[in-house]
Order: sequence, then C-alpha cells, then structure tokens
Amino acid sequence: MKTALSVILVFILAGASLFSAGCKQQAEVAPVAGLQVVTTLFPLYDFARTIGGDKAQVTMLLPPGVEPHSFEPRPEDMIRISRAGLFIYTSKYMEPWAEKIVSGIDSRSLRVVNAGERVPYQPGGSHEHEHGAREAGGHKHDQKGMDPHIWLDFANAALMVDTILDGFVAADPGNAAVYRQNAEALKKRLDALDVRYRKGLSSCANRTLLHGGHYTFGYLARRYNLEYHALSGVSSDSEPSAERMAALVREIKSSGSNYLFAEELLSPRLTETLAQEAGVGVLMLHGAHNLSRDDQAKNVTFFDLMERNLVQLQKGLQCQGK
Amino acid sequence: MNLLEILSYGFIQRALLAGTLIALLCSVLGVFLVLRRLSLIGDGLAHVTFGSTAIALALKLYSAMSLLVSAPIVMLASLGILKLTEKGRLSGDAAIGLVSALGISVGIILASVGGGYNVDLLSYLFGNILSIRSEEVVIAALLCFGVMLLLTLYYHELFAISFSDELAKVSGIRTSYINAILVLLTALSVVLAMKLVGIMLISSMLIVPAASALQLARGFKVCIVLAALQGCSSVIIGIIISIMSNLPASASIVMVNLLFFAVACVVRRIIYPKNSN
Repeated sequence: MKTALSVILVFILAGASLFSAGCKQQAEVAPVAGLQVVTTLFPLYDFARTIGGDKAQVTMLLPPGVEPHSFEPRPEDMIRISRAGLFIYTSKYMEPWAEKIVSGIDSRSLRVVNAGERVPYQPGGSHEHEHGAREAGGHKHDQKGMDPHIWLDFANAALMVDTILDGFVAADPGNAAVYRQNAEALKKRLDALDVRYRKGLSSCANRTLLHGGHYTFGYLARRYNLEYHALSGVSSDSEPSAERMAALVREIKSSGSNYLFAEELLSPRLTETLAQEAGVGVLMLHGAHNLSRDDQAKNVTFFDLMERNLVQLQKGLQCQGK
Repeated sequence: MNLLEILSYGFIQRALLAGTLIALLCSVLGVFLVLRRLSLIGDGLAHVTFGSTAIALALKLYSAMSLLVSAPIVMLASLGILKLTEKGRLSGDAAIGLVSALGISVGIILASVGGGYNVDLLSYLFGNILSIRSEEVVIAALLCFGVMLLLTLYYHELFAISFSDELAKVSGIRTSYINAILVLLTALSVVLAMKLVGIMLISSMLIVPAASALQLARGFKVCIVLAALQGCSSVIIGIIISIMSNLPASASIVMVNLLFFAVACVVRRIIYPKNSN
C-alpha cells in the first residue's frame, strides 16, 4: 500500500507543480479598461488586437499548442467571456464548442461575432484539380466536409476583418472611427501580403503542393493556382488507408517534387514515413489556428507566420524571384 | 491498386513486421492478464501515458525522448495497480479504473493550465501502424525477444499465479515478485507499442486473442500458442484487407480479431457441445 500511495503522490505532486506554474501565468487577467474582447483562434486574436488598438483588451481562449477540436473551457475562461463585450469565433466547423459556450453565458451585453459568416466556404478534400487517385482516398464522404481554414485565403481574411470590425463598431460605437482606421490599415497589409504571395509563387518549377497530413491548405492553393494533394480529409479523426498512403507516395514521385509539407504543431510521424518512402525532404507549413508556446512568447503575428510559410513554399516548390 | 505493388512499399513491410512482433508480444502477455483479471490494464496504462506525455511535452521532450518520462511513470502506475489489488482490497478492474482516471485527469489539467505547449498533445500520443520507422522495428523485435525470454524463464511461476494466487503462494512462489514482473512487462509493452501502433490495437491485442484461445484451449500451452497465432495472423490478414478494401489498417486488424473470436465461440459449441455453457 505504501508503494501505491507514493506512486499516486508522485503523480499529484507532478501535476500540482505544473498546475501552480500554469496558474501564475494565467494570473494577469486583463485590468478592466476599454472594450473586453474574447477570441477563440489565433487569426481572430491577431486581427482583433490590431483593430482594437489601445481601445480594447483582446484575449485568446485557446492555450498554446492545443488543437481547436480538443479544447475545453476552464471556469476562468467562462468568467472572462461573461465579462466581455465581444466574443469572436470562426465557424461551427472549426470550433463546434463555441456556440455551446456562449449559450451557457448569461450576459445581455455580450455580442457574439461569427467571423466567417461572409466567407464563401469551400469543401475540403476535393477541389478543382481532382485526381482519380484522390477520389479513392475516401475522404470526400466527410459529413462536415467544409474546410474551416478560411483565413489562409487572404481575401477571406479581409472579409473576416470586415465582420470583426462590424462587431467592434456595434459593441463600442464611441471609438468607431479608430476601429475603422485600424481595420483599413490591416486590410491594406493583407492586400500587400496577397501581392507578395502572388509574385512569390508566380514562377515555380513545381506547382503541386503535397501535404502529408489533414486537408488544411486548400484555400491557399486555390488562390495561387497550386495543385493541392493532402494525405487525408478535413476531419482530424480519420485515419489514412494504406492505399491512400501508397497513392500519395506515387503522387510525390510523379510530381518530381523534392519536398513533402507537414503542418506545424502536429506530430510529423506520418509525413516523415511518407517522405522517407518517396526519398524527399520535409518542410513545415503553419496552419495559423494556434501558436506554439515559444511563438506566443515571441509575440509572433499572423503576418510573421504567413511570411514563414511563403519562404517554405518557395523552397519546396522551387520558385524564382523573391 | 495492385496488392503486390502496395506490398513493395517500405511502410507496409514495416507495418507487417512490427505489427506481427507486437501482436505476438501482446497476445502472449494477454493470456496471463486475462486470467489474472487485468484485461483492461492496457487501456488503463494508456490513460496514464496520456498524463505522462503531457508532462514530457511540458518539458519539451518529443517523440523518442518523451519515453524517458513516460516509461518510468507508466511502470510505476502499473505497480500501483498491482499494489491496489493486493493490499487495497480492490479488484483488478477497480484498481485499473482508479489509476486510469488519475492519469487522464492529470493529463487534462496539464493540457489546459500548464501554460500550453509547442505542439498538439493528442497528435503525439498515438502512433499509426502505417508510420513505423526502421529503427522502431528493431525496438519492437528487442521488446518481443525480452518479453518472450522472461516469460520462458518464469513460465511455471506465471502459470501458477494465473490460476490461484493463494495456491501459488502456498507452493512457495514469490507471487508479488512474479506479479510485478508481469505488470512491468505489460507497462513497457503498452508505452512502446502505443507510440508504434496506437492504443486501439494494443488494447484489443491484449484481450481478444486471449479471449478466443480460452474458448478453445484445454491446456495452458496450447492456449498461449493459439492466442499468438490469432494475434499474428489477424495483423497480416487485417493489413491485407485494409489494402484491398481501402480501409484504415488498425480498425481492420481489430475487426479480424473479433471475427476470430466469433468463430472460436461457434467452434467451441461444435467441439464441446456438452459443456458449452
């Protein structure tokens, strides 16, 4: 019994020490000044804090590194949302829990913004450059098959900025002029980013973006006329079949590509297996829905992540020019 | 796609090889565990692995390095389960449930308040049988060899405690020592195999081949051999079915295993019609 108790004790102590470390980090809850805004995912957080400027306190719900699907709110999160004036989420596809959380909050002053409401959603796992082999992948039969990574198309990101701005203006009309000005500047930067991508990806030796993971970069590929092949569908629960893996290996070989892309924050196991099989290298792309703890500490922005992606894309697709 | 063509891919060959080794390992261990009424220890220890992986990732240890944290914690937890059943007046299932709840709640607490991670925890937790690396085949082989060796060395003692702890104790066997060896081997197998093939496969490999073999076998050795045969053949058949019908490999293997169990139940009714109850 002594041993059993000590085993349990070790667990509890290990848990408690990390727990208290975590609490210290969480302790600095926003001092009440200006509009309180709670966002779910990183792109929304980054856009909202730019639009809000110094007139709003913007926080992000998702802890660093956590997958949006596996998030569970803590009591403090609920308190923060109930005190907020604005709650911004992406869509029911990305954060199925968001609507549930908000419906549990009893606050008349809370305004809820569905940032993706103006965006034309595209189904994930099927696209213009459909190949026979991909059809056999079986991931077209996804029930909630809409691709939720809408911000990776910067025109969509601009639409999201508009929707978020509407929320800010409605929640705090007094500062409307400031918010509009900030949103305008943000959209200009998105435009400039779009131009950089368009130029940077205009003359590439290879136009096939091969991704050894779940369907994520469809919007990006579509916008810049790249062919996109992902290993598996949007749903993070599905598992690729042996045939789909073999098919992707053949697609890599026939595309003449030297690199297979993997998504940051996720385990690169399957991608590495496939890359090894096809004899190519692995490059990381960022899906941007969340940050790693290190990136958060460095105060990285959405634009930083997208610039990193552009560098990786240019390397992987052998693009000319800058 | 052509079966032979797919079989020429390295990842399929590694899946077949490492899968068979892990199946052999799990199905043999499973016979002892099922008889000791510790069938669900695989699930329980997997939940502890969740907690320990959370600790490893918080310390920035990824993939193979995370085993340095996970393996000792999970082995301690397996001893904890054992002590709870021996001294805590708890049956095996309650002890497993208790330790597994502890493991998963530590993981969830760490995942939400530990200041976050640099990577997604769940994606690092489970392996996929189609993503086994060459060096991991060697690890699986070593583990399989080690477990088989220890099982041969302690065969008589393990045989005795599988049926009655008291009787074994009376006949002079150090039961707590032997029990500890059994659960420690299981813990090691679960931690390593979870990284390679995922939890669903391990848990079913521990239970189903043993359950089928116990339907048919009249002797202990025959039972172990039958379980091992079923474990290995279900991996091979499951992978081939998954290639031919384009289904996820691990789920196919589990289904083949369950099919074997159903067949074993029917065969038992035919062979031993009198005491089929």
